[in-house]
Amino acid sequence: MKAVFPKRLINLCLLRPSGDSFAAIRIQKMSSDVPPCLILGTFPMAGINKPFMSMLLGSVLMLSCVSFGYTQDKKPVIGLVMKSLANEFFKDMQEGAVKHVQERGDLTLVAVGMHSETDIDTQVNAVENFITKKVDGIVIAPADSRALVPPVARAIKAGIVVINIDVSLDEAAKKQAGVDLAFVGPDNRAGAKMSGDVLAKALGPGGKVVIIEGNPGADNAQQRKLGFDDAVKEGKLDMLDSRTAHWETEEANTVFTNMLTAHPDIQGVMAANDSMALGVVKAIDAAGKSGKILVVGFDNIPAVQPLLKEHKMLATIDQFGSKMAANGIDYAMKGLQGEKLTGWIKTPIELVTAPSN
Amino acid sequence: MVDKNRGMAGQSKLTSFKMPAKAAVQKVLQEAGIGMALLVLITIFSATAPHFMDESNVTNILTQITINLVMATGMTFVILIGGIDLSVGSVMALCAMVAGLVLKNESVPVPVAIAAAGLASVIVGMICGFVNGFVSSFWNVPSFIVTLGMLNIARGGALEVTDARTLFEFPNMFNDFGTATLFGVPAIFLVALALVLLGWFVLTRTVFGRLIYSIGNNEEAVRLSGHSTFILKVAAFVISGLTVGIGAIIYMARLTIASPILGTGFELNAIAAVIIGGTSLNGGRGSLIGTFLGACLIGVLADGLILIGVGDFVRQMITGGVIILAVILDSYRARIADRGR
Amino acid sequence: MQQADRVEARRWLAGVSGKAENAGKGHTMEPLLELRGIVKHFPGVTALDSVDLKVAQGEIHALVGQNGAGKSALIKVLSGAYTADAGEMRLSGAPYRPRTPLDALEAGVRVVYQEFNQLPYLSVAENLLFERLPRRFGVMLDRNTLSRRANDLLRRVGLEVDPAIRLEHLGIAQRQLVEIAKALSSTGRLLVLDEPTATLTPREAARLFDIVRSARGSGVTVIYVSHHLQEIFELCDRVTVLRNGRRIESFAVAETSAPQLVRLMVGRPLEAATDAIEADAAAETGSPSSAQQEPALRLRGLRVRGSPHPVSFDLKYGEILGLAGLVGSGRTELLRAIFGADRREGGEIYQDGHRVAFADPVDAVRHRVCLLTENRKEEGLVLAMPVRVNITLTDLAQVSRAGLLRVQTEVATARHWVRELDVRSRSIEQTARELSGGNQQKLIVAKWLFRDASIIMLDEPTRGIDVGAKAEIYTLLRRLAKGGKALLVVSSELPELMVICDRILVLSRGRLAGELHRHEFDEERILSLAYSEYLAGKAQPENRSS
Repeated sequence: MKAVFPKRLINLCLLRPSGDSFAAIRIQKMSSDVPPCLILGTFPMAGINKPFMSMLLGSVLMLSCVSFGYTQDKKPVIGLVMKSLANEFFKDMQEGAVKHVQERGDLTLVAVGMHSETDIDTQVNAVENFITKKVDGIVIAPADSRALVPPVARAIKAGIVVINIDVSLDEAAKKQAGVDLAFVGPDNRAGAKMSGDVLAKALGPGGKVVIIEGNPGADNAQQRKLGFDDAVKEGKLDMLDSRTAHWETEEANTVFTNMLTAHPDIQGVMAANDSMALGVVKAIDAAGKSGKILVVGFDNIPAVQPLLKEHKMLATIDQFGSKMAANGIDYAMKGLQGEKLTGWIKTPIELVTAPSN
Repeated sequence: MVDKNRGMAGQSKLTSFKMPAKAAVQKVLQEAGIGMALLVLITIFSATAPHFMDESNVTNILTQITINLVMATGMTFVILIGGIDLSVGSVMALCAMVAGLVLKNESVPVPVAIAAAGLASVIVGMICGFVNGFVSSFWNVPSFIVTLGMLNIARGGALEVTDARTLFEFPNMFNDFGTATLFGVPAIFLVALALVLLGWFVLTRTVFGRLIYSIGNNEEAVRLSGHSTFILKVAAFVISGLTVGIGAIIYMARLTIASPILGTGFELNAIAAVIIGGTSLNGGRGSLIGTFLGACLIGVLADGLILIGVGDFVRQMITGGVIILAVILDSYRARIADRGR
Repeated sequence: MQQADRVEARRWLAGVSGKAENAGKGHTMEPLLELRGIVKHFPGVTALDSVDLKVAQGEIHALVGQNGAGKSALIKVLSGAYTADAGEMRLSGAPYRPRTPLDALEAGVRVVYQEFNQLPYLSVAENLLFERLPRRFGVMLDRNTLSRRANDLLRRVGLEVDPAIRLEHLGIAQRQLVEIAKALSSTGRLLVLDEPTATLTPREAARLFDIVRSARGSGVTVIYVSHHLQEIFELCDRVTVLRNGRRIESFAVAETSAPQLVRLMVGRPLEAATDAIEADAAAETGSPSSAQQEPALRLRGLRVRGSPHPVSFDLKYGEILGLAGLVGSGRTELLRAIFGADRREGGEIYQDGHRVAFADPVDAVRHRVCLLTENRKEEGLVLAMPVRVNITLTDLAQVSRAGLLRVQTEVATARHWVRELDVRSRSIEQTARELSGGNQQKLIVAKWLFRDASIIMLDEPTRGIDVGAKAEIYTLLRRLAKGGKALLVVSSELPELMVICDRILVLSRGRLAGELHRHEFDEERILSLAYSEYLAGKAQPENRSS
């Protein structure tokens, strides 16, 4: 609950007497309106800063009573357990899911977000709550691939359809708990390889590259590193160095600058996400080597669009994060209709390259 | 006999030159330890790390230490009064987000927008610093707790301002400043250096600086001497906020983005620079020259270790070790100083 | 002024006092402690220069000497806080080489330092028994035993406080007693007391002497360090004089006299100095000039927080007004309340006839009022900073322009005041910590004179200061009064007040019990006023100086 009070406070202090620049943002937020079927979870991040918030909250609560109490046979209830909504990626994902549900119109969505990436407790509690409330399905982006297995197993035993999105739960842990559930998500490794392949093709065999990794220990960081390794091996590239910058722009900038000093002959960089690619591109600019060192990234965030346009970045991967939760919901609905879902249901990934002109 | 003697100031002007000179020498000697460590490190890296002494690498190091240096300058004031400011990283994010919004306002000419953004950033930082200082001094709450609270408030605020979105595509005039150099020295570093020099001047040459040191040594003596310790303590936090605001602008210019999650963990780097620089966490002892050298040491270490190819994890361990070593050395220095009497 | 008291006061100053009842006893026995050629160097200073010392089993052995004579260094070598550079020590004939204070404790050597090492946020009981907290089941704190044993110990030193309250709530004298009680909590062979009576009232001190004597009775040997020669003649068996790190002489107390000791300690007799002060004070008292003016400070019904008694008095320019009273009678609190350092619960203060608020120290200082606190180290000085900085701290505006320090002016100013008040320091860049107690006190006076204070309040101005320096402080205070300042002095040493003051106010449990003019000064009378509020059903307390 820590985040709630400060957020409100800031709202009151900063946003109410807003100038033009604030208003622009606010209008943008209003347009991505939260539908009345969204029930605010433990962390009411989305939609809290509405001017008529209390009214909305009231109606939402009424609706929730209705949906849980009397209309269970009409519309199935799906619980969505998200990661940190402070992360743009997950925020987009949740908003995409909300919009998707609105379009489908045949289910009720209950979304729960977390305070930080590592707030495992909140997720476990959310799953337990959903079990108590007897939801029909749960779509979860686990914060930890092992810790979430036992509550998920309990949910499955309680007859709830559970779909795992974003990061796959640990295979061994799943086996131990005796559960089998579908993972709907992108292939980070394949994506990274696609991105790396573009670089390999541009440089040709023997091209000298470095990798900027994500958080050591994070599952997607490891998968992307493996994907880059695959591309290096297949393209017969010469990998000079590989270091973590913890997904961060500033650190990537520093780390890559130092790599460049150590290896002035670097020809290409594979960054495990676009935020880090941004830092790398700034470092290349600062070293006066724009255009001489090729960069590929991952995630296709808005901030790299200009870089692609200016050919400062060669390629990035769009894994349609905003659609991932929506896809998960679709599969959960299929599961509810009796379809048997197991294994890895890969979501589409797409290579985004610099527009040719 | 014991009449007031304002007039006697001039009479012994001739004899008064000796002491400050000697005091200055002592001050320099105090920093000698960390300066030596830095020299040793530079010598080692020059010999072992390829390209370490290249002009471009020196430029890189200067660029890389800039933000930490700016934040550590403000942090030095806070630590000198015996406080600590854990909120600087988060406040920096908040400053950057507010400044970013102002900067992207297209209804005013670019130079005006840049000036307004700088002002906004600094003001936001100073407000946060004021709140930190006011709460901790007025209610006598440890600054550790207050700034921990502010850490959360500012981070939440930064996320709220743009609803967690990253801001980018700032005016070119603004972005160019981040990479501009003067005779090979990054402009942003010159800003940081100017700030350090200004801070050093304030601490050593002004009444305010003298009182900052005195508070760290013995707050009660300062209070009973008839000074308002409340205002002084609040001022130290406001200065910290001011440097954070400047740091935010430098960050944005250098990386051409403003992200609400930027600056995570920066407070620890700033504190490390101050402590390695020989400023006592209990307050009252230390200097900005030490902080400057401390920031340099951290920067040189990070740069050099990458150049000689030390892995990420080992690098982290070595950095931690250096912080502990610095504190041990400082304890010895204090003991030797004690024995000197 | 009564002749007898005059003589008593002067005798006290010169250290001439009668009794030496226990003299001679015990020194023929085998020495418990023997020091040979103990040397301790610090950079630039030889603190101990080949000191030989024999302390016989079961005697009370006094160590006297001015500050810096080496008493503290010797004690610290004994306690293992310092390691001697050369020389050997024997305890009961066996070599004794403590490397840490723990070694000393294990060897049965207990030291009560002048500056205590206490845990302010723990209870009195826990402080008392900190080294051996009683346990239950090996891990749990045995609260009952703790409080019972703490009560026993407190009763032994005659301190009536609840052992469960936190130590921080005690005054400095009470803390001193706690420290002594703590030393008595375990049986040792050698008890070292460093200035134990510095903060005690006569009654408490007399109690302490009984305790020390009974410790001797049970076979404990005591080393007793004090500036109060009177106490040495009253309590001790033998005395050793130290000067400049050397042992000058050891005597049986019966075989020496106070003037002889003082001569050996200081190198010059003191009588002349105190006579001058007395003559000076007597000459000035009642001079008509002071009666004409508006009083410097007029208190009307001022109430200290927590005290039901309103206090009213006038303080004139050119006079020294003493505040006497027992420890805990509210003297310090009164000073702090006037200064605005603590809250007041009503009453009015007039300065030069005008109503003033003195809302906080800043305000008081602006009105040229200053307070020299009892805790020099904690409240008066910025110890780690140079003499120069300490002097100018009170009025930095004088040595700065537009917020910028003018170092040359500051240096000149500091030099001036150091010279003016004869503060002995190597240079004005020496840190305040390195100065002796007397010079620290002068430094504090200097900083307030620099600020041009007109009303100077002093709390225990000579606490922990050696004999020679005390006389200097007295001279200085008289000089200040003569120069037109108004002085308000709190002291636990009645003879001190009787020497320097023009008038004495006596506080008893926060109530203003009486006012005495110089011709009425009488130790007996002051004491009975001081006890007046405490006498509900109790007998007249003993008085050690009669």
